[in-house]
Amino acid sequence: MKTTSPVGKSVPRIDARLKVTGEAKFVFDLEFPGMLVGRMLRSPHAHARIVKIDTSKAEKLPGVRAVVTAEDTPKIKFGSNEYFFPYTVDQLPLESEKVRYIGDEIAAVAAVDEETAEKALSLIDVTYEVLPAVFDPLEAMKPGAPAIHSAMNNIGVMLPVHFGNPDKGLKEADYVREDIFTLPSAAHCALEPHVSVGQYELATSRITLWTSTQAPFKIREAMAKTLRMAEADIRVIKLNVGGGFGGKLEMFPMDFAACLLSKKSGGLPVKITASRTEVFSFTRRKHPMIYKLKSGVKKDGTITAITGEVIADGGAYCSYGPTVIAAATMRLFMVYKIKNIRMFGSRVYTNNPVCGAIRGFGGVQSGFAIESHMDMLARGIGMDPVEFRLKNATDPDTLTVNKMILSSNGLKECIRKGAEVSGWKEKYGRKKDEGQDTARGIGLGIAADVMGSKMYKSHESAGTIIKVEEDGSVYLFTGAADTGQGSDTAMAQIAAQEMGIAYERIRVKAADTEITPFDTGSFASRVTFISGNATRNAARDAKRQVLDVVGRELKLDPVSLDIRDESVVEAATGKVLLSFDQAITLCSSFNYGQLIIGRGSYNPKTTPIDFRTGEGNISGSYGFEAQIAEVEVNKKTGRVRVLRMYDVHDIGYPINPVSVHGQIEGSIIMGIGYTFHENLRFRDGKVLNPNFSKYRIPRSMDRTTIESIFVETNDPQGPFGAKGMGEASLLPTAAAIANAIFDAVGVQIKDLPITPQKVLAALKSVRT
Amino acid sequence: MKTISLNVNGKVYDLQVRDSELLIETLRERLGFKGTKYSCLEGECGACTVLVDGKNMLSCLMLTLDAQDRKITTIEGLAPSQGELHPIQQAFIDEGAVQCGFCTPGMILAAKSLLDKTPEPGPEEIARALDGNLCRCTGYVRIISAVESAARKLK
Repeated sequence: MKTTSPVGKSVPRIDARLKVTGEAKFVFDLEFPGMLVGRMLRSPHAHARIVKIDTSKAEKLPGVRAVVTAEDTPKIKFGSNEYFFPYTVDQLPLESEKVRYIGDEIAAVAAVDEETAEKALSLIDVTYEVLPAVFDPLEAMKPGAPAIHSAMNNIGVMLPVHFGNPDKGLKEADYVREDIFTLPSAAHCALEPHVSVGQYELATSRITLWTSTQAPFKIREAMAKTLRMAEADIRVIKLNVGGGFGGKLEMFPMDFAACLLSKKSGGLPVKITASRTEVFSFTRRKHPMIYKLKSGVKKDGTITAITGEVIADGGAYCSYGPTVIAAATMRLFMVYKIKNIRMFGSRVYTNNPVCGAIRGFGGVQSGFAIESHMDMLARGIGMDPVEFRLKNATDPDTLTVNKMILSSNGLKECIRKGAEVSGWKEKYGRKKDEGQDTARGIGLGIAADVMGSKMYKSHESAGTIIKVEEDGSVYLFTGAADTGQGSDTAMAQIAAQEMGIAYERIRVKAADTEITPFDTGSFASRVTFISGNATRNAARDAKRQVLDVVGRELKLDPVSLDIRDESVVEAATGKVLLSFDQAITLCSSFNYGQLIIGRGSYNPKTTPIDFRTGEGNISGSYGFEAQIAEVEVNKKTGRVRVLRMYDVHDIGYPINPVSVHGQIEGSIIMGIGYTFHENLRFRDGKVLNPNFSKYRIPRSMDRTTIESIFVETNDPQGPFGAKGMGEASLLPTAAAIANAIFDAVGVQIKDLPITPQKVLAALKSVRT
Repeated sequence: MKTISLNVNGKVYDLQVRDSELLIETLRERLGFKGTKYSCLEGECGACTVLVDGKNMLSCLMLTLDAQDRKITTIEGLAPSQGELHPIQQAFIDEGAVQCGFCTPGMILAAKSLLDKTPEPGPEEIARALDGNLCRCTGYVRIISAVESAARKLK
């Protein structure tokens, strides 16, 4: 089959056939001759000084090949927001003096099998001096609380946002309200656990690391730094990745340890696979937040001021803390026209497991708080929530008060279309008891998202190389990390479209730091937009090289030529001159010998954020969406059923419509999980529900009907008009549902997850 | 240690098996059927689903000894012949039901077991049959439509 002009078509995924046959290789599946099993030794204490580590007994155990501790390392810390926030670089790959949470890595072993490795861990003697620990962020901020790092009052990250005159704005308002929202922690639950295979090459002193990651180049950087090696001596390879959702966005101590163990064991490959309990307890998790808002509106619906405070439990280390707090406090600039705003975000160290990136960064938490708050503000002045949003939503070609440049912007169209397809006018605010016990309601939430976030490096470039072989086959090398979202497919579609050739010709080789061009990784919904533009540029370059040869041969101006439907044509008339295969044969003929190697890179036009105020244009473009939930609430049991979700999304232009719908559906169901039951719980720093039976993620019976509709704004910067869209649909889901519950039964739940008990308690307090 | 013969994908393997050996270990570590995944090893994710005498079973909860004399099918054994795909596999591709692919083998085998018993299931029946197979990427929407579409083709 030949699919030419594949952009905008739902071509089958480039990796789908391998995945349905079970042949797709994940790092999880990797095996090498002589491969050792690695295991991490973790702190059993939430906060303790390490007095002594004695590994001698473990080392003597038959079958043990290597034991490593901090003494084998240069003791250099790593962090994830180093460029803008150097003071958040706070974690050692193996701790030597102090442990700060239950699970903190102290040592690692490599042995011939799992049993021996486990036994060896139990033979490492660690003497601790247990320190007082603190688990509640509010307690941790108090003077006299145990000091976890050197940060004053344990506040590791502080981000203020301030524009206009918020106090004056509140005074001018006709209606002011204050709300406090609480958001629990949550887990990513990618089905492939974190897994690393490290191999040290003795002859060259180089390392190869295969790891299940969203960001191979970022890991290379952190590995080089913490091992004090050159980046050139570290090769990070990504294979198929069984989901990430933000949980595989940085180097983990197990990545580091696998390589170090390999070195110490004489170059044997070492594989460390995290158990599900380890993934839940010791990787990264969502920041729980207390989100306070106080805002004012005029009778006509104009927002006069938004003020608020966000306090997040960050856990023991900073990870992506600054990005998360920035997303939690600054996303609303893309959504609402605001002149007066004051927000303050604090991320507090505690002795809980580490919080980091998770799909939406802090936007899921702020999405729930802000969109619930907005509904309540609208209600306070007796305004329809749809009208209220339309009154305050941002417009296209807008410079926001914090200097974000919103060029294409379909937000208002998303809201209008959502209201139309859901039958909002007929349904909202109507008395709709379905029987004695149940009532139905409809609710709205809106959101916007970046496509890229220049917060981890001085640039955010991605690159692509395309080589065309003599037989006409086309190889595309990209550093973009497909973790299941379908970026390899999107890159192939973009390249084929630009080169005028069939999608099926293209093979994608992705994410090997030694072979593929640089790419910051899969996060911030950036890959289609940034790596997609790099790919388009590479394809354009490759095509130009082919047309140059054809032009010379036919004595035609190459600019007058084009490639369409696998043929070289006269651009003006469409007259076919040669087939693509003939053109490639010509390129490699005696007279020309022209190898076709296209290259492209792309760095989005952004300005750095000033983190003292929140000013700056963080992304090259922005995506928008409106989501509407219809629910049925059982007033006797408090149970809520989501009947239908409508998602209207400004995706610019869909490169692969089915993939785009798939991202939206997956986000919404993930959001439904967070709305109703996902809650990673702790006691004294220990995770209480580190497995799928106690931490319930949505199952197929939890699915709901989703109507996903695109608004095509054809972004002028996007590749073929496309925008990033992997996260936005998760942001408003919980609020849309909470707002629908209010519409049904008149109670607003401000504390996730929305359990039947909370609904019943709220109903009871309304009645009494 | 016991010597048993294990029938996997129509081929018989004579193996020395520890009493405590799990079927998932035998399949993945000893026979190389890496298409069978696992995400929890506790019987909660469904990624390790294989067919045992045509019925979907969790290979992380089954002792290899108990699989003796039974017909085991892994994802590698589902396609009718090399280069061809089973209609369920094809439907997963066509309907866009595959994202990261880690749950896919287990999901497809659970669907096969359902369609063998119930050739024309409704969406609710499909959802119920796949409820033990976790997927974090797709929201299940397209997985269920893929199974519906495969059922139509298999009729």
